[in-house]
Amino acid sequence: MNGIHDLGGMHGLGKILHTPDEPVFRSEWEGRVFAMLLSVNGVGHVNTDEFRHSMERMEPAQYLSVSYYEHWLHGLETLLYEKGIIAVADLDAKLAQIKGNDACQ
Amino acid sequence: MTSHEHDHDHTKPPSELELRVKALESLLVERKIVEAAALDAIVDAYENKIGPRNGAAVVARAWVDPDYKVRLFADSTAAIAELGFSGLQGEDLAVVENTPAVHNMIVCTLCSCYPWPTLGLPPSWYKAAPYRSRVVIDPRGVLKELGLDVPADKEVRVWDSTAEVRYMVLPERPSGTDGWTEAQLMELITRDSMIGAGLTKSPVKAQ
Amino acid sequence: MPIVLTSDMVAGALKTGHSTRVDVAIEPRFKVGQRVRAKNLQPLGHTRLVRYVRGRVGIVETDYGVFTLPDTMAHGNIPTPQHGYRVSFTSHELWGPAADPKNSYRVGLWEDYLDPASDMAP
Repeated sequence: MNGIHDLGGMHGLGKILHTPDEPVFRSEWEGRVFAMLLSVNGVGHVNTDEFRHSMERMEPAQYLSVSYYEHWLHGLETLLYEKGIIAVADLDAKLAQIKGNDACQ
Repeated sequence: MTSHEHDHDHTKPPSELELRVKALESLLVERKIVEAAALDAIVDAYENKIGPRNGAAVVARAWVDPDYKVRLFADSTAAIAELGFSGLQGEDLAVVENTPAVHNMIVCTLCSCYPWPTLGLPPSWYKAAPYRSRVVIDPRGVLKELGLDVPADKEVRVWDSTAEVRYMVLPERPSGTDGWTEAQLMELITRDSMIGAGLTKSPVKAQ
Repeated sequence: MPIVLTSDMVAGALKTGHSTRVDVAIEPRFKVGQRVRAKNLQPLGHTRLVRYVRGRVGIVETDYGVFTLPDTMAHGNIPTPQHGYRVSFTSHELWGPAADPKNSYRVGLWEDYLDPASDMAP
């Protein structure tokens, strides 16, 4: 698709925010998302090409503004829902349960 | 930091994003689609075991061993596997050589493809829109922004990782390193030098 | 049936990876050294044919061998195995006459993305 991801040659996307060094995962959630995708990719649920395309289908303004692993989270959720592996309502329910259980609040 | 410490970090409540990821993991584990211990192992592998030190070992070996260098260019995947590095996002590797005439730069304009077995996971700037968009249309501008001076008469060759091959740059060996051991040489080989977005350290600076 | 990746499987899985090479002998359509033109395709689905090379002429530098095609793998896990090539492009061809002639490009392109190009200027 002629999506926002096909960035080669675009102008105006800003300075390269180069870091000489950075942690592999800047927060724990990034590592968990990464690992979850690896666990469902190539084992009979999804393939890499489907995964790439799931991220390409992100809303363009979102694609450009959210952090990298939020792309992965979007792609992972999209594929899980599209393939009927989980339902949106399942995640909503689990999220509500976790928030309810969070003793810190 | 263990997940236990994160769960009980009272300095900051968990963000919506953190809770969502936690919920997703919880759901997938419950449904036996993923295994929590496997997730831990994957994170550990990429945080602690697979990283640019692997690529530096390949580069150092190629610098000291001319026969290895020949094998490295004949079949990069096999030669890199000789050193014990192989696998995910590196099933087909190709090393490209920086010379006095050519400076190579690697990008994945479409996403973030990168040679994981030799360089680990890519840095955030490599995966973000500015580098991905600019390095193909203005590689010298990118090099300048990154602080590299590449002479005008040198060819800048940009490799877009659109297909299955994963590229890695073999940087030029810095002068003043005759007789150095591979371990010593590895200290000069930066991650960025193997992307083509940086240079190796000079022997004087490294001391 | 999908498998569950367990912790004891992780090291092996990472070390092996998921190659998309297909072990089938297919005659390549293009030869190393041949001029090719990237097709002017505008697919709605997944492709790895980057927009900045569509319609542009390059030279086949390497035949990487036979791989599955992302365009069909992404939509129904259909392999469509074919040769993948590394194609070199000049900066003028991709970015116009004002581009720095000392810049050059290498792009990986599947056979379905390419047509032969004549030796004459377009």
